[in-house]
Amino acid sequence: MSLDLATAPTEPLDKSNRLASTRAGGKMVAEYWDNIFTAKERGKHVVWYNGTALNPIFQAAGLEWCHGEAFSARLAAMHLEGPAQAAGEEYGYIGELCSYARTHLGCAVMTQKGITEKQSGIVGMVDQDELASKLPSPDFFVNAYAGCSTGQQWDAMTYRVFGKEFPIFNVSLPMIWGNKPDAGYLRGAEWETTPLYVEEQLKKLIEFIEYQTKRPFDWDALSENMSYIKRASELRLEAMALCAAAPTPATYWDWVASIAPINFMPANQALVDYFQGVKDEIQYRIANSISAVQNEKYRVYFDGIMNWNKLGFLTRKFAEHDVAVVAGRYTHDSFWQEPDLIDINRPLLGMAQHYLICPINHGLKIMEELLIKRCDEYGIDGIAFHSTRTCRAMTNPQHILAKTAERDRGIKSFFFEGDVADASFYKDESLESGLVAMLETIDQQRSRRA
Amino acid sequence: MSELDLTALAVLAAAAGDPAGYARRWKAENNRPVVGSFPMNFPSELVHATGALPVIVQESRTPITEGRSLLPEFYCSYTRSVADQAAVGELDVFDAFLLADHCVQLLGAADVIRWAKPEKPMHFAQFISSMDDPWSGAQVLDKVRALQAEVEEIVGVTVTPERLSHSIRLFNEDRRLLREFWDRRRAGTLRITSRQLQVLVKSSMVMDIEEHSEILRGLLANLDPDEAAPAGLVRLHLSGHFCAPPRPELLDLIEECGVLVVNDDLYHGARYIDTDVPEGVDPFDALALWYLDRNISAPCGTRVQRNVDWDEYLVSSVEQSGAQGVIVLMAKFCEPLMLYYPELRKALENRDVPVLLIETEHEGLAEEAVRTRVETFVERIHRNEMKVGSSVS
Ligand code: SF4
Ligand code: SF4
Repeated sequence: MSLDLATAPTEPLDKSNRLASTRAGGKMVAEYWDNIFTAKERGKHVVWYNGTALNPIFQAAGLEWCHGEAFSARLAAMHLEGPAQAAGEEYGYIGELCSYARTHLGCAVMTQKGITEKQSGIVGMVDQDELASKLPSPDFFVNAYAGCSTGQQWDAMTYRVFGKEFPIFNVSLPMIWGNKPDAGYLRGAEWETTPLYVEEQLKKLIEFIEYQTKRPFDWDALSENMSYIKRASELRLEAMALCAAAPTPATYWDWVASIAPINFMPANQALVDYFQGVKDEIQYRIANSISAVQNEKYRVYFDGIMNWNKLGFLTRKFAEHDVAVVAGRYTHDSFWQEPDLIDINRPLLGMAQHYLICPINHGLKIMEELLIKRCDEYGIDGIAFHSTRTCRAMTNPQHILAKTAERDRGIKSFFFEGDVADASFYKDESLESGLVAMLETIDQQRSRRA
Repeated sequence: MSELDLTALAVLAAAAGDPAGYARRWKAENNRPVVGSFPMNFPSELVHATGALPVIVQESRTPITEGRSLLPEFYCSYTRSVADQAAVGELDVFDAFLLADHCVQLLGAADVIRWAKPEKPMHFAQFISSMDDPWSGAQVLDKVRALQAEVEEIVGVTVTPERLSHSIRLFNEDRRLLREFWDRRRAGTLRITSRQLQVLVKSSMVMDIEEHSEILRGLLANLDPDEAAPAGLVRLHLSGHFCAPPRPELLDLIEECGVLVVNDDLYHGARYIDTDVPEGVDPFDALALWYLDRNISAPCGTRVQRNVDWDEYLVSSVEQSGAQGVIVLMAKFCEPLMLYYPELRKALENRDVPVLLIETEHEGLAEEAVRTRVETFVERIHRNEMKVGSSVS
């Protein structure tokens, strides 16, 4: 089959200058997964979970944890998602279903076949060389998905793919709807009470884990884990704040590369060191006038889940147009982004609060508030809305957010089509034409102001 | 076999076809508020107990225009339609909106209403969707109470236990009357099309419940004897299609292909009427119990529950009705159904029950393509039956 050169996206010039320090994160993550794959041989209990970052609890309980979205993202970023998605399709999942979910469910189908192979002695049901087939089978599941109903339903199905053989625990995270006059980000009666309800469920989760592992839970270890997370988070935020500088020393893509460490790596000194390294490099860049994009001319905010198949490509693509993507909802309004909420003497409350401020768990009013705040902080000229085809949670407020940014700050935006883990939905022409049109409008705005 | 009084049915069809028009007339006559709610688990009894008209907001048949720039095209037709209706003013008759279900797409549509109609209250009392946790019951009751407070504020009337119990009785009675039609269809003593059944249930979602029940009683009283259903039809169960009704033309088309629909678990069908609110207990508790019970009598892909399986329910429902196959109707992009479909298919295929998936869209129906698929499916069932018949004889 020949490649159609007329329609294939051409590789952009590389005017981006990614942080070197994030490479350490890539190594950490690779080692983490390699370790997970051998969990069973090491006699470890394995938990599969989706959604919010419960890993400090799992770590304190001596478990090995497999985060569903993280593994789907990894497969997509490595362009190895195909076999899992094919297994999911064969099982009956339709291509319009959340691609994180169907990639991971495909992995579940493959893992389940692996179990059947072992039990039946019939080999060849699944290709053991495929990365997608390497997840160790779960001992139990925990679901705690904020904002998106699909997240909870997805695990209910994973539970069934494994024939309901392994128990599942659901933590229910209510939406912060924000309808009352007092409602807003981190304020109002709804905000005061909802975390307490979640905190109680987390206590029940710990009882469930104790029952599963037949071990008392190590509360001191949880506090210690949260102290590392708090410090890592502070460093991450300090480093992000430095990127208010123009030209920016680091971009959204560097923060995307740092998602895995903050989202599910073990909480320890290495995690803190990672973010210290990132911050140090950014400070060095500022001191030495090194920018993340050659000739930064426009500062753009990115809204939508990452398109994992296209991370490198998009980094170069935006930079090619002299665009520094400096911040985004996915990176800046997620992942332990309010370290002041973490009280190591009462770790579960701060965790509950963080689970509830997941950027897809707010009603529109709070989303608008956060978007405008970020636009002001980072001097945003335009917004790129990644119309993430199979993620309804990230996309549902996007059209209105675009109108809000224009109305309140005169900020232009454009939409481009893609997906979180299914490359077939990416439309290069929608990115190229939308971006160019937005930049032209920004130019016109500037010349009118000049 | 009996047939329906078409004149009475036309009254229901008019309300089902134009819920906003019906609500406007009701409001003019009664001078009381109209409160919109959303599928699939909202307890309308609570609104009724205030004297307001509870209406479950329906998908509109009008093409989506302004809604295109408010919700992405890859949302289900119901939510895109609701967003569009909000933008073009089709929802203006409603004085407030209440919501209990957590579906991410539905919340997107609700946010569009909040944005387009900021002056109208839009409350979300999120009923827990994990049904069998130790705290599920208490959480739902808490949200029922929250809804009570909201609706009392909107209408300015206190919901006393007596008023609520009265509303519960009326809604239970309406469901009971509706179930008679389903029971008679299953038993083969009533010739009724799926289109007609949809009218019966859809109108109950938007009409004054007492008026609705009165018409149902009239319909049941006037059923005439009629000839038996033609022989040789393939008996099918229709499954799925959450929140919005499948197009009546699609139901007609299926039935034109030599099909006798004997049962369903559609939301605009048996799913909506299967469960009564318990009477004889505290009525607020009863609404919470009703919510939890519903997922047991007709399990739903939008809820999660370890000890309840939609697939098993479907299999036993098929066994009871003697359906020879199942057509799963799926509103395109409906995530909970996309997630559950493989389990349904697996369970049915394990029992050799043929299954056909048909996706539906707001924009229309690819009539010929769907007809061909249904005809092929029906032929396949006929062939299977012949094979089974010949191997038995
Ligand atoms: S649709 Fe988006 S938020 Fe929901 S489960 Fe999938 S990736 Fe997560
Ligand atoms: S349950 Fe399905 S049909 Fe209903 S709103 Fe959600 S996606 Fe749409």
